[in-house]
Amino acid sequence: MATALLLISCNSDDNAPTTGTGSLNIEFDNVYQSNNLILNTQPNTTSQNEVLKIGQLKYIVSNIKLTKADGSIFTYPKSQSYFIVDETDEASTTLQLQNIPSGDYVSVSFGIGVDQQQWELGADGQGNFLALAQSEDMLWSWSAGYKFLAFEGTFTSPTVASETAFMVHTGKTGTDYNYTTITLPLTNSALVRTDITPQIHIFADASKIIDGQNKIVLSDNNSGGMGAMIMGGENLALITANLSQMFTVNHVHNE
Amino acid sequence: MKRLFVLAFIGLTACSPDDASYTDVPFAISKPSNFPDFAYNFEANMPTQAGFELGKKIFYDGRLSSDGTISCGFCHIQQHAFTHHGHSLSHGVNNEVGFRNTPAIQNLAFQNVFMYDGSTDNLDLQPLIPITSEVEMHGNLTSIVTMMQSDAQYRKLFKRAFPDAEIDTEHLLKALGQFMVMLQSSNSRFDKWRRNETGANFSGDETEGYQIFQQKCASCHTTDLQTDHSFRNNGLAVNQQLYDTGRERVTHLPSDKYKFKVPSLRNVEKTAPYMHDGRFYTLEAVLEHYASGVQTSETLDPILQQNGSPGIALTDEQKSKIIAFLKTLTDDEFLSNPKFSEF
Repeated sequence: MATALLLISCNSDDNAPTTGTGSLNIEFDNVYQSNNLILNTQPNTTSQNEVLKIGQLKYIVSNIKLTKADGSIFTYPKSQSYFIVDETDEASTTLQLQNIPSGDYVSVSFGIGVDQQQWELGADGQGNFLALAQSEDMLWSWSAGYKFLAFEGTFTSPTVASETAFMVHTGKTGTDYNYTTITLPLTNSALVRTDITPQIHIFADASKIIDGQNKIVLSDNNSGGMGAMIMGGENLALITANLSQMFTVNHVHNE
Repeated sequence: MKRLFVLAFIGLTACSPDDASYTDVPFAISKPSNFPDFAYNFEANMPTQAGFELGKKIFYDGRLSSDGTISCGFCHIQQHAFTHHGHSLSHGVNNEVGFRNTPAIQNLAFQNVFMYDGSTDNLDLQPLIPITSEVEMHGNLTSIVTMMQSDAQYRKLFKRAFPDAEIDTEHLLKALGQFMVMLQSSNSRFDKWRRNETGANFSGDETEGYQIFQQKCASCHTTDLQTDHSFRNNGLAVNQQLYDTGRERVTHLPSDKYKFKVPSLRNVEKTAPYMHDGRFYTLEAVLEHYASGVQTSETLDPILQQNGSPGIALTDEQKSKIIAFLKTLTDDEFLSNPKFSEF
């Protein structure tokens, strides 16, 4: 009798039960290079010798997909797959996903912004996300579209002595869609079980937005000394490309 | 999708106030034979009788605005093809004034890009611009949804139009889209003449005017909707009070500076004033601009600077014949259709 029980127990440990569904959390931890992101007071120096004090960082995370070791993909239901991460609202930085099939996931993919497929459907499938976006100031009134990412603050530079405002807003401009899809391998598998809710801890490095593979010099965009307002034009495509390098998985908790 | 008959308003009898027996009726969508192809994505938002009725209520409801006074219909007046007749620029809450002339709402199912600068290309999302703009309705979407959820009539209309859905921004925009997409003007004398319908005659001046229009205007004002949906600089003197650079605001391309969308000329007799800033009060003034007022600039449309001189050569007689033709585009059936009106 005791032997039989032991065998059953061993058996189930070796082949981890992967039936049922569980939850998964994805934390977006905003950082600046190797520092935690400190809003308003912390000077951050770019490679272009500009000093940024960051006042706000927000972005839309969408279309989350999880891939298992065998290559099979779980797509989170599209209508529930739109989130706004707001650095000033800690609760918003952890996305709580539910009803994920149990399994061992090895990579996560998501987009920054609202995808073109959803845009072409108009209001269809958006629920109240437009109202949420407006209340979070992530709606672009002039174009009936979303701000995909908002990065704001003040800067100084060798040529701009007094603290001057900057605002970087990305989104669809004209026919440029500017949506970014990001796929990240996990450092260790996320083991979703009925009784295990893994947490994927993502670092989002704000320095990459204007100081990534493409370097955007705010002083060069300080039109008439009124501040560097980057919300369109060629810089937006460069910044969109930078966003694909902004996110890394730091670790995964399985507990 | 089957496209059967022009704007068939069927199932009106189903509109009884008794909810238990109510069944919603999808419109039979069809294209007038002289029109270009549809651009609207009907599959994402199929208009129904109940959706249209809900959209109409929303269109005429001032409670969408921050001070409760400015509805969509405030600037979009039916008898002027849903423009703000007599106002060069649109008006909004707190006596704010916008920076563009109110565009017409008609035949939008055939358009793929909206606003004078093409800032949006999705009709169902377009209302977000005037609803949220600080100089127009300055509405708050969360408050609007709450207002509708607490209004018994809205609850009833939403239930009819979207039986399985919540009252939310998605469905209020879908209803507005359904109302707008059904605003089809296709029964002007011009349309009937083009479709060889009985009793549709053109006078000699109107026929000649159409021929001159075809030669002088139809390279941009193409098709029976008189637009190719392109953005062009038509040589207007820069309005320094507005300094509106048009399409360049959207694309940030220097080559798009001062370009604006070529408008449809449907009901143009009723949509004065004209141009993106409403600077011309009469059709005569518009034609005079093309004849003698076109300003050269780096982005002036090449069509307007041929043979070394800007503009379009037009005699006074040709101008008056073109205007005689333009007046055949007036569609009284559309302008006075009680199904589209507020009361």
